[in-house]
Amino acid sequence: MNPLRRFLRAPEAIAGAIILVALFAIALSASLFFPGDPQAIAGPALLPPFQDWSLPLGTDRLGRDVLAELFHGARTSLVVGLAAAAAAIAVGAIVGTLAGFTGGLVDEVLMRITDAFQTVPSFLLALAFVSVVGPSLGVVVAAIALGAWTGPARVARAEVLSIRERDFVAGARVIGMHPLEIAFREVLPNALPPVLALSSVIVAAAILTEAALSFLGLGDPNRMTWGGMIAEGRAVLRAAPFLSIIPGVALVLTVLGVYLAGEGVVETTAVRRSLS
Amino acid sequence: MSRPLLAVSGLTKRYRRGGKSIAAVDDVSFDIEPGETLALAGPSGSGKSTIARLLLRLIESDAGRIEFEGGDFLSLSGAALRARRARLQMVFQDPLAAFNPRATVARVLDDPLRIHGIATRSERPRRIAALLDRVGLSADLAGRAIHEISGGQRQRIAIARAIATKPSLIVLDEAVSALDVSVRRQILQLLLDLQREERIAYLFISHDLGVISAIAHRVVILDAGRVAESGNARAVIGAPQSTIGKALVTAAPKLNRTSTQGAADRQ
Repeated sequence: MNPLRRFLRAPEAIAGAIILVALFAIALSASLFFPGDPQAIAGPALLPPFQDWSLPLGTDRLGRDVLAELFHGARTSLVVGLAAAAAAIAVGAIVGTLAGFTGGLVDEVLMRITDAFQTVPSFLLALAFVSVVGPSLGVVVAAIALGAWTGPARVARAEVLSIRERDFVAGARVIGMHPLEIAFREVLPNALPPVLALSSVIVAAAILTEAALSFLGLGDPNRMTWGGMIAEGRAVLRAAPFLSIIPGVALVLTVLGVYLAGEGVVETTAVRRSLS
Repeated sequence: MSRPLLAVSGLTKRYRRGGKSIAAVDDVSFDIEPGETLALAGPSGSGKSTIARLLLRLIESDAGRIEFEGGDFLSLSGAALRARRARLQMVFQDPLAAFNPRATVARVLDDPLRIHGIATRSERPRRIAALLDRVGLSADLAGRAIHEISGGQRQRIAIARAIATKPSLIVLDEAVSALDVSVRRQILQLLLDLQREERIAYLFISHDLGVISAIAHRVVILDAGRVAESGNARAVIGAPQSTIGKALVTAAPKLNRTSTQGAADRQ
């Protein structure tokens, strides 16, 4: 059976996919619907939601449009989540492949470095990194990737250890292929499926970490972020709880959507692998 | 007499198991002349495949010498070893495991041509078609994925890859054992044709004496990592001297009637 159809049979996968598609649509259309600066003042301060239909979700403490902030914040969450996960998986896959394929001293050194990164809580690592280097989008992405690449590295290494004993790797050596080409062209692509299965968890964690950093005021100050919105709303939590609740719900839905859709993809590919 | 193509002497490989050292290959010596087929026979665990892997430097030996085309093959490393590999090729037992599961036929045949600089990028598709034709396959197969074609076709692709670099010796490690009887006969015929036309020597590793007497000039019978006896293939299989040789011959007719028939057909 076609994997797409199998994917569409699982209701939770569909729910995840719908949330993700909506999130992408929101992120991509943010500058279409809200072309101006989302940090500009749009109306009276602390307007509750559903009062004024030109400002459907109301305004915050400074009179900024909450819906515009939400749309632009989706952009940051998605960009940071995807970029950090891609960086973490790329670095992890390369480190894991080199360690597993080369073995010996290289393996020892790379895996002890991996251990060192894994023993430090990843949020603390991100916090320290951003505090030292300074908050900007690229730094936040790097900081999150710094704590997330160890999982992919371990999975890739374990997979490479079993693949490198297979005949086709011996065959590649027999025809005189360079060891680096064997590692990255023959072995790595075959080791990727279980590594990619981690991506939904990593994206979801990256979005949460970004929100947490922004909440602590360590996000990119020039960008709208959901974490920053929650932090902003915290000051008036009793008077205007919606200012914290709205971005909070967006965050929960996004993480749930990423996770469900990712699980759906893993399920479908897992069934396909076991059948073949 | 000219120098042998391959001269193996005192080849030894030990493994450590439970603190004790076990010799998988123990002081094995043999020669192969250009254009000759030497068979390595013996029961499972006698060290046949270990010898194949030692010869191809897929694993390293503990002692012994391997002279190939007049040079010390064991002293080579890095780029020099990779370049030399063009002349010494191998065909594996399981034709599915021997290829990257994601590869296409064209890519499998393109790799040796590219790595050894045998043909330019624009020439390669033509060379791949010629190789496919050489092993009796249609050039249309080039675009297919390895997992889409049959076992017999895959083993022909493996042979095409092995001859792509114009080797002087091909190690065939149980290369026909996984194939069904009719396909096995066709592949053996292909190997004999290639040998006649290109004077390629074969080291033919098999536990199947029927197949060996059909294809090999000489045979070396191994037992527990040592050479039990060696000599002309027909003579040894007709009248084995060693205990293990006798045991193999006694076991053979029941198991390999069809392949011995294949040998009789060609005589």
